Amino acid sequence: MLVSLAWRNIWRQPVRSVLSLIGLAFSSLLLVFMLSFQFGVYDTIKIGALGLFDGFGQFQPEGYDDDPDISKQLPGSQALLAADQIKGVSATAPRASSFAILANGDTSFGAAVIGVDPAREPAVSTLYSTISEGRYLEPEDSAAIVMGAGLVRNLGLALGDNVTMLGTGNDGAVAADVLELVGIFSTGVNAVDRQITQMPLARFQETYNMGENVNVIALRGPDFNGVIRAAPDLQGLAEAEGAVYLRWDDLQPEVRQMITLDLSTAMLMYGIMIVVVVFILLNTLYMSVLERTREFGGLMAIGMRPAQIGAMVWLELVFLSLLGAGIGIALGAGITIWVENVGISFPGMEDVLGQWGISGRVYPDLSFFSASIGPGIIVGSIIILGLIPYRRILGLEPVSAMGAA
Amino acid sequence: MKPIVSCRGITKVFGKGELAVHALRGIDLDIMEGDFATLAGPSGSGKTTLLNMVGALDHPTAGEVAIDGQPLSGMSKSALSDLRLNKIGFIFQAYNLVPVLSARENVEFVLRLLRVEPAERRRRADEALAEVGLQGMEGRRPSALSGGQQQRVAIARALVARPRIVLADEPTANLDSTTTKELVDLMYRLNQESGITFLIGTHDPRVMEHSKRHIEMNDGQIESDTRG
Ligand SMILES: Nc1ncnc2c1ncn2[C@@H]1O[C@H](COP(=O)(O)OP(=O)(O)OP(=O)(O)O)[C@@H](O)[C@H]1O
Ligand SMILES: [Mg+2]
Repeated sequence: MLVSLAWRNIWRQPVRSVLSLIGLAFSSLLLVFMLSFQFGVYDTIKIGALGLFDGFGQFQPEGYDDDPDISKQLPGSQALLAADQIKGVSATAPRASSFAILANGDTSFGAAVIGVDPAREPAVSTLYSTISEGRYLEPEDSAAIVMGAGLVRNLGLALGDNVTMLGTGNDGAVAADVLELVGIFSTGVNAVDRQITQMPLARFQETYNMGENVNVIALRGPDFNGVIRAAPDLQGLAEAEGAVYLRWDDLQPEVRQMITLDLSTAMLMYGIMIVVVVFILLNTLYMSVLERTREFGGLMAIGMRPAQIGAMVWLELVFLSLLGAGIGIALGAGITIWVENVGISFPGMEDVLGQWGISGRVYPDLSFFSASIGPGIIVGSIIILGLIPYRRILGLEPVSAMGAA
Repeated sequence: MKPIVSCRGITKVFGKGELAVHALRGIDLDIMEGDFATLAGPSGSGKTTLLNMVGALDHPTAGEVAIDGQPLSGMSKSALSDLRLNKIGFIFQAYNLVPVLSARENVEFVLRLLRVEPAERRRRADEALAEVGLQGMEGRRPSALSGGQQQRVAIARALVARPRIVLADEPTANLDSTTTKELVDLMYRLNQESGITFLIGTHDPRVMEHSKRHIEMNDGQIESDTRG
């Protein structure tokens, strides 16, 4: 009885109710889409920023992250390479690295030289796909090197040229080699294009006199969040092997900081929006309660309990907010799914986004969480704050209520 | 015979100090089963205030109202609602129907509150509407009914749960004289045939014509109480 009465009461003021519904639906829609879009952007940024080179996670020797020194090497690297058997992880790649001086005639620049396994590396990082000239390293390569376009320009090199590498080996002795530039990559990330070079791991180990040892093992999974979920297992494995496991946000804390900052600014905005919507809606509904005070007096006179009347009014609020939020979620999810298929591009922003490893279009990521949290908070607050009119009705006296204008 | 309603020493003061209005000044009144009583008096004499006391809608400043021997003082709001639901029918000058409900649903509403079964509810509602001459209009909402018809629905609603007493405050004030006469005849017939007790506050001589008991108020007191 209360249910059908509440439902009908909503439609007594169709214009008012429809306007309330539109407000609710629109804000829910906006929240669903914006949140999904934001999470989509974050995923793209994380995958772009970490997938390019670092990998979604890394095994490192203790203390290597703070002070990367070639002499800090991974014990048990075979067992760690087998981490690709762990659920959520699809590939692992061993690396050794050092800082070296690269020289072409009189010109020399400092850069990171990283020894990679050409057979395993492409399954972990996407750097190989950004080769703009020449080719990526191949398993048969020995005295070969690939480097970023910025560094190539600085050194005045051309494809096929030899470059001299001068570094400090594992034993403190000079490590020198002459390598052929076989490929140039342009990642669009300036720091990478100016400072990173890669050469075959075997040649690196020989030149730097480090035997079969490696410095880090990078890993990747088919799905970013799958690797996040695998973190406890990976951590356990690292511990067992006397190494440490670094998650994505250990590797790139600035990405996490940026996301946290962006999210908190957005939350503030969403919070304000929710407060405004809830306030407007409650105000409207409170008005309708005041307007009907007389009627409530009449209902009490014929024997309806104040709590029943209060429940009826509260149900009106609940129905209205559920309906509005439902419509908003449906529309918001619909639009989000559509954009998930076509993507959104940001003309003119390619350079900025490129620094975060994002190329081309961005796709929102609709999840149960992104679809429900915003509208859920709106409905929740309305349901709770709806107890204010409920309490007011409990305090009504039939005579004074009937005498109200 | 025991009274349905008994009032002892009812006073009602609105406001405080200088501004205090003594609406009722010591009312003793018993309404007996089968009464068809009219309550008259000049405007401001306290008719509405007294009806509100009798109907458990308001609390007296002093004195005691008892319905079927049960004193009302100290009862909670919910308990008073339940008491009104079970024992009292109301007819108001402004009808006070629920606008979103049809005539039948308005009448059924009281039965729903009483948790009567749906089939039984509908049967009794239609019967009550037929009794007040509204057969064929059960599905109409109040906005599609004339004032007289709305008041008939209100009468049907007041009667449908077979209350101990029906209280009416100026039930005909908004109606023309033909309609007034029809409604008074209707209430009188219900009193005669079904023995329903009525207490009607009114200025209207056409209502008083039928009364079997006439109570005259003045300045918060009962001036006369005559049967016949
Ligand atoms: N809520 C209130 N606050 C203050 N005074 C009130 C209130 N209700 C009624 N009164 C006063 O109490 C007195 C009795 O009023 P009541 O409404 O009972 O008179 P009445 O006989 O019904 O008059 P009418 O014939 O005009 O309906 C009046 O002086 C009125 O002004
Ligand atoms: Mg009056």
